[in-house]
Amino acid sequence: MRLPITIIVAGCVVGLAGCKAAPPSKLESKTITFAKHHFFIGNKKEKNPLPYSHENWEDGKEAFSHYCVACHGMDGQNTGVPFVDHISPPIPSLASEDVQSYTDGQLKWVLDNGIRPSGMPGSKGTLSDDELWSIVVFLRHLPPAGSQGIPDIYTH
Amino acid sequence: MKTKFMLVLCVGMIATSVFSTRTVRAQDAPKRIEVTAKRFTYEPADITVKKGEPVILVIKSADVAHGLRFRDLDLNAKVDKGGSAELKFTPDKTGDFVGHCSVFCGSGHGEMTLTLHVVN
Repeated sequence: MRLPITIIVAGCVVGLAGCKAAPPSKLESKTITFAKHHFFIGNKKEKNPLPYSHENWEDGKEAFSHYCVACHGMDGQNTGVPFVDHISPPIPSLASEDVQSYTDGQLKWVLDNGIRPSGMPGSKGTLSDDELWSIVVFLRHLPPAGSQGIPDIYTH
Repeated sequence: MKTKFMLVLCVGMIATSVFSTRTVRAQDAPKRIEVTAKRFTYEPADITVKKGEPVILVIKSADVAHGLRFRDLDLNAKVDKGGSAELKFTPDKTGDFVGHCSVFCGSGHGEMTLTLHVVN
């Protein structure tokens, strides 16, 4: 009877050790990034029905401010987000090459569906298609890092 | 004879002015349609109007702040919590136009739509 208990305890210890959150290695990051761009993130060919215009950019900025700023900051570059360095995988800057090299359709797909098992949630139903496409316009023309201040939720 | 003629003329003028005023008023009076916005829905969610006829959508919020925006018609109204707002317009093209809530109101905000059918 003692043997199975010992095995269970040992299994738990090994399992908990595996739960430790650590930054992914370079190889892991490159592999996952490649897989996301080429296999996991769909909708590569869909075009944004909203052209770039100041009004569409403002719409995107407003929609972004409702739902996205908590993790991505007002500027999409994580400014003022207190936990940005404490989660794994880390929150990317939306101005980074990894993000900007997605097509508009793929960015919309990510906004719709999120990326599992990262912390990125899907927004389908929470924001309308119109708002999500306007966010894509905003993402393509992000303001300079730090220029938009810190999200209100972190200033109180 | 002259008095009778003048009397008939006066009655005719008065009748004409009364009927013409009524006709103008009937043509110009916008159609008022009340819409209630509540918890990710509009009631009614489908509205049919005629092209060229003025309309006022009276949007009332029964809970939090909402909005109603028709991008294709360049129309937008925002309603405070428990308040109301009016969208006045005259549809100039036929078709089905989907309006969305333009004030973020919660988890179902993205699915809060109202379809406007504009017919001849």
